Amino acid sequence: MRFKLTAGGAGGNAGPTFLPSARKLAGADLTARDRAVRWVLLGAGLVPTLMLLFLTAEMVREAIPAFVYSGWSLFTGHVFTFGNLYVTKLTVHHGVSAPHGAAYGALPFIFGTLVSSLIALVVAVPVAVGAVLALTERVPARLQPGLSVFFELLAGMPSVVYGFWGILVFGPLLAKHVFPVLAHLGGLLPFFSGSVGYGEGLLTASLVLAIMIIPIIAATTRELVRTVPILAKEGALALGMTQYETAKVVILPYVRRGILAAAILGWARALGETMAVLMISGDLLNGFPANIYSPFSSIAATIVAMLDSALTDATGMAIHALAAIGVILLVITLATNLLGRLIIRRVSHGVVLPIGRGV
Amino acid sequence: MRPRLLGSTRLRLAPVAVGLCAVILSACGAATTATHPKHTTKPVAAATGNPSSAVTLNEAGSTLIYPYLQVIAPQFNSKYSHITVAPQPGGSGLGISEAISGLVQMGGSDAYLSPGQASANPNLLNIPIAISAQAVNYNVPGAPANLKISGNILAQMYGGKITEWNDPQIAAINPGVTLPALRVVPVRRLDGSGDTFIFTSLLTKTNTAWANGPAFGTSVTWPANSAELGANGNPGMIQVCKANPGCVAYIGVSVENTALEDGLQEALLQNKAGNYLVPDLATITSAVTASSGNTPANLRQSLIYSSGANSYPIINFEYLMINQTQPNAATAEAVRTFMDWAISPTGGATGGNLSAVNFVALPTIVIPKVEAAINKISG
Repeated sequence: MRFKLTAGGAGGNAGPTFLPSARKLAGADLTARDRAVRWVLLGAGLVPTLMLLFLTAEMVREAIPAFVYSGWSLFTGHVFTFGNLYVTKLTVHHGVSAPHGAAYGALPFIFGTLVSSLIALVVAVPVAVGAVLALTERVPARLQPGLSVFFELLAGMPSVVYGFWGILVFGPLLAKHVFPVLAHLGGLLPFFSGSVGYGEGLLTASLVLAIMIIPIIAATTRELVRTVPILAKEGALALGMTQYETAKVVILPYVRRGILAAAILGWARALGETMAVLMISGDLLNGFPANIYSPFSSIAATIVAMLDSALTDATGMAIHALAAIGVILLVITLATNLLGRLIIRRVSHGVVLPIGRGV
Repeated sequence: MRPRLLGSTRLRLAPVAVGLCAVILSACGAATTATHPKHTTKPVAAATGNPSSAVTLNEAGSTLIYPYLQVIAPQFNSKYSHITVAPQPGGSGLGISEAISGLVQMGGSDAYLSPGQASANPNLLNIPIAISAQAVNYNVPGAPANLKISGNILAQMYGGKITEWNDPQIAAINPGVTLPALRVVPVRRLDGSGDTFIFTSLLTKTNTAWANGPAFGTSVTWPANSAELGANGNPGMIQVCKANPGCVAYIGVSVENTALEDGLQEALLQNKAGNYLVPDLATITSAVTASSGNTPANLRQSLIYSSGANSYPIINFEYLMINQTQPNAATAEAVRTFMDWAISPTGGATGGNLSAVNFVALPTIVIPKVEAAINKISG
């Protein structure tokens, strides 16, 4: 980067003068303490990057034997089993040996993780956006800070509390009162019909996940809605639009991309959620949920549930298999996080006010 | 530390040693004696006793043995005030893995070591301290308190082949009983579990499809069954079964009283002779007598589905996994003291302690092999 400097006040209108040694001059003025602080800050700045790289590298290294053993069936197989640990015979695929009958197919977990988080997103986004619009447009200004506290509280609740509440209260409540009503929709949507279960399953877990990600989406959306120019909103009101039409025509198009980015960040949170899903999902193994109320399993919940069994595998392949599905989750989560950030960056660089659009 | 006595010298000196200890006891009033007053023909255990400084023995693992350890640990501590035994649940899988890694001195497990684990860890001993059993409970409103069920039917329930409680196979062995058309909800253990090990051992012995498929282990390839639920630990099994009508679950006898109080029903399980039994003192003892005749020296033996008209089909040794080489002599001595005390009928294995958790004492025929294993522990 070149810095334009004009020397003192002399020749102020003479045009740009370059001092290539400006940086060197600046460096010469640093004391030893300044230099030390620089190194410390450099180290501190590197820590997050190095930790991420270290974590990813170690996970991938641990997962490689399972990737070699299973090949593509890791992504397409339906059966995930550590094999028969009490038989001495070993199965060998591509040079890697595992207990007899071991198969590491993660498709049900990938399915469960993606479907539960997507359902959570579909439920959470309208609720969060609606709540924010209600908060910013209809609630009197003096009540707004007080009510926004609830969003933060919801975000701060530990996920184990959500899981506990889900399995003891929310799940049975839904199964007794809500799901039988939804089951009547079975005529339209086949996966809504069938046995309603007792509360542990896909829909319950997705709803609890939705409650967990609403604060994330709501907080980001609230900041974005505040950036809508008051001029545009007043103009719409002056034209005789109702508050609903203002929201639909002025506010939402303005913040649409931002909501998408917030939704993606919320999705990333839902993908990695472990404890709540572990407690409410019912932990189905080696199969897919029969309908939307059935038990399922997600990657994160499975790693926790099977870890102590994996430690008893003398060949060590079970740990490699869990690391492999952990790597899959890592990749999915990193990808969604990066996508969200990319979209946010594009949003903040000069979005044109869409007045006139849709009017 | 007193020197270890070897081989035949022990047999000759044993009565003398016991007599001397008795004299010293009465003289000094300190409890530093061997703990087998009944087995006077057995060799005196190598150095045991109350150490001079505090030692904590950590135990983790099986939720089936956990209630028993909770009962006997305080009694042991009141006798040997410097040794504290700290038990924790977590499942047999956890017990085995933490014993292997050395995180705990004793790993509780209902399952013995697999051949792979044993060859990878030649120094790990599995030493039983009691005999336990497992019940099959169910929650079917309107069904009798004790329904007859066989291992074959259970294998089909967990395999997804029998999906309703009014299935003809169940009705065939329960004449005169009408069962509701309720969906069968099998509950399995999520954690690496010795209860899973002994339950699937029975399924393996009674159903060929199960033997060729999931077989047995602390964690198995459960067949895909969309009605199936998972639970952690024996208490978790009770809780899930209570909340889900139609459930069938395998629950260890040490928490069976809680299960029955909570409203679960107990199945009459079919044994090898074709009779249907619940696990109680008589049926477990009968099974023990029939099956523990040829226990190998490494104590890895399955007692499942033994013969005998009155033998309960699911009984097992309750093992503590202990490393032969302890980090120091004091810990080794503390472990040996605890193990000797635990298997002694006047120490831990009293009638009262065992019946509190529905366990049965180790058969006398096995005790010498157990003591030989205990004497291998050194530091």
